[in-house]
Amino acid sequence: MSKNPTVVPPPTVALVGRQNSGKTSVLMHLTRTAQHPVNFPGSSVERVEATATIPSGDGTPVEMRVVDLPGIGSLEAISPDEQVALGWLHTGEVDVICAIADVGKLTIELALVQGLRELGHPVIVALTKVDQLDADVDAAQLEDLLGLPVVIVDALSGAGFDRLGAALLAAARQKIPPGARKIDPDEVARRVIRWRTIGPRAERRKHLTDRIDAVLLHRVFGLPILALVMFGIFQMLFVGAEPFMGLIEDGQAALSSWVSELVAPGALQSFLIDGLINGVGSVVIFVPQIFFLILFVSLLEASGYMARAAFLLDRVLSKVGLSGRSFVPLVSSFACAVPGILATRMIDDERERIATIVVAPLMSCSARLPVYVVLVGTFFPSGQAGLVIFAMYALGIVVAAVVAWLLRRTKLKGKHSTLMMELPTYQRPSLRVVRGQVGAALREFMVTAGTIIVVAAVLIWLTSYYPRPAEIQERFEAKRALVVGDDEAAQGKRAELDAAERAAYLEQSALATVGKAVTPIFEPAGFDWRTTVGVLAAFPARELIIPTLGVLYSLGDVDAGAYDLASLSHPDEDDGLRKKLKEATHPDGTPAWSALTALAVMVFFALCSQCAATLGAIRRETRSRKWPLFVFGYMTALAWLAAVAVYQIGRALGAGGAS
Amino acid sequence: MVTLDRLEKRAIGKVVRVDGDDAIAHRLVDLGFWPGTEVELVRRAPFGDPIQLSLRGFRLALRKAEARRVVVEPA
Repeated sequence: MSKNPTVVPPPTVALVGRQNSGKTSVLMHLTRTAQHPVNFPGSSVERVEATATIPSGDGTPVEMRVVDLPGIGSLEAISPDEQVALGWLHTGEVDVICAIADVGKLTIELALVQGLRELGHPVIVALTKVDQLDADVDAAQLEDLLGLPVVIVDALSGAGFDRLGAALLAAARQKIPPGARKIDPDEVARRVIRWRTIGPRAERRKHLTDRIDAVLLHRVFGLPILALVMFGIFQMLFVGAEPFMGLIEDGQAALSSWVSELVAPGALQSFLIDGLINGVGSVVIFVPQIFFLILFVSLLEASGYMARAAFLLDRVLSKVGLSGRSFVPLVSSFACAVPGILATRMIDDERERIATIVVAPLMSCSARLPVYVVLVGTFFPSGQAGLVIFAMYALGIVVAAVVAWLLRRTKLKGKHSTLMMELPTYQRPSLRVVRGQVGAALREFMVTAGTIIVVAAVLIWLTSYYPRPAEIQERFEAKRALVVGDDEAAQGKRAELDAAERAAYLEQSALATVGKAVTPIFEPAGFDWRTTVGVLAAFPARELIIPTLGVLYSLGDVDAGAYDLASLSHPDEDDGLRKKLKEATHPDGTPAWSALTALAVMVFFALCSQCAATLGAIRRETRSRKWPLFVFGYMTALAWLAAVAVYQIGRALGAGGAS
Repeated sequence: MVTLDRLEKRAIGKVVRVDGDDAIAHRLVDLGFWPGTEVELVRRAPFGDPIQLSLRGFRLALRKAEARRVVVEPA
């Protein structure tokens, strides 16, 4: 732009309206492009910007900058967010204001419009949700009464948005401020809306939404129905994601074997396969689940059911300083905390939102499940397996409740906790809005979280691969030379030696050296040095403990994906890792693992912050370094304390068997 | 005159005033709790709180503590 001084910046449109007025739909329909959040200068308050291309009178497309402000209910700023947003409206940056008015609340929307016209910018009124009203709306008369251009837009069909764009562009070019005009909002609404039925109240009573709510918000059946809906979503999520996860695993395996043929064995091959492909794979493997989860959350939100879930559960969550709005983010986190954290965007109170973000990673996500399954299947009788796994989930929920309660009484103490939430009319979700939200969430996961995981995975690879003293290679070459023949026994022997060689390398690697150095810290929890190394390797992503333990116990490659719930029913089928864990001993010959150690490790995993992607999402969503650090610190400290407590109390009670 | 949270289920009240001069009171006014407005208490949530209201043709959920700010004249 600086090359050509005659280029003028595109005119700026400010989208102003309260929450639920249909602001997001207007933005998506106007711009049809990727939107990106930007902070207001000098503050952490966020606005969303995108570019709209409007066909101008002479046929050439003209660009407009569309800025979506946080929801505003009046011209009197109450929250700090509103203050920043309203302050920006007073600046010369704004060329035209697009007031989004939900026709179902026309009187109070008109009160807001009256405030906006006093700011001195041209104002265009976009009337939304007309299709939800059993009435005819006289837009021409509303224009006359207000003295402002009024455009009816329909988020579902996309009708009216071309007209709205043209009206905004024309107003931005002319920049004629609207004059003052006194109106009575009640009177105007009465004259403009012509009910097709007898009257507003009769209309409301018969309304389909109210009949649905009579069931969905029923005092007795409301909660069981909600439980059923969430259960159904989780079923669809896991069933839907499974084939894609299988494809990704197959693809990763195929890519690895292709690389192993192309690149000679050595540092480069190991880096490509164990570092890079493995790292990228552990990002991509989550994409199907995140996709389905965001899709369902977005559909729930757009249909209007999300607000009902919040209504039903507000009382319970308010006990720990959260509100009904925290419910869906927290439940989503049982699949994966990353989309759960993204779903907190619908919580308008910033402190409540941060409290929800901080406790969301305590919900046992799907990456913890393989760890639970391996250990429960190995060390607990099958009759207790379900109970132990359930206890891990319950532990996360209880700790989350306590942490939220404490935070809301200290650091995140709010002046007032409120609900004040509209229960919108049920509607068919707009595909464009849902597609936009899913796309934005996936992009963000791949870019922010993805980069962190890949870097962390490469780092773990580096420290577990180096140093590589020649002495180990010489020793194993000598041993391999002793194996003669090419029969099955000899091949088995060679594979055993290969695995032992990998274990020998790993045992003196930088990662293991660090692991051994910090083992004293984990000794009170009953972890030996191998477990400690596994725990360290799992910090970028939890499921990495399984392949790491696999290598340490000389098993070669062990795949975390093999440990699903179904494998619990046949734990005795050949299962290298489980057998090795049972047989592992301390140097003095006592067993390294017992049911008690397994329990301590599980408790550690249930509470520990071992997920770079989650920390990245927290960094992004709280726009601070402080909160991800806090989450990492408190979760890891709690995990250690709880693991030590379990092991020491268990020992005192005589469980565990170890000396 | 009673506060809004005390209305019977399905009862309608006319807003008399909104108490207080803080953020909650301002928000209630922004939402259309103006003197003379008819408000219906539609239902209470499973645990008795929050409550669902209907005013000006839209549905609103308020905690009882918030609804207590609104004084109504039962119709």
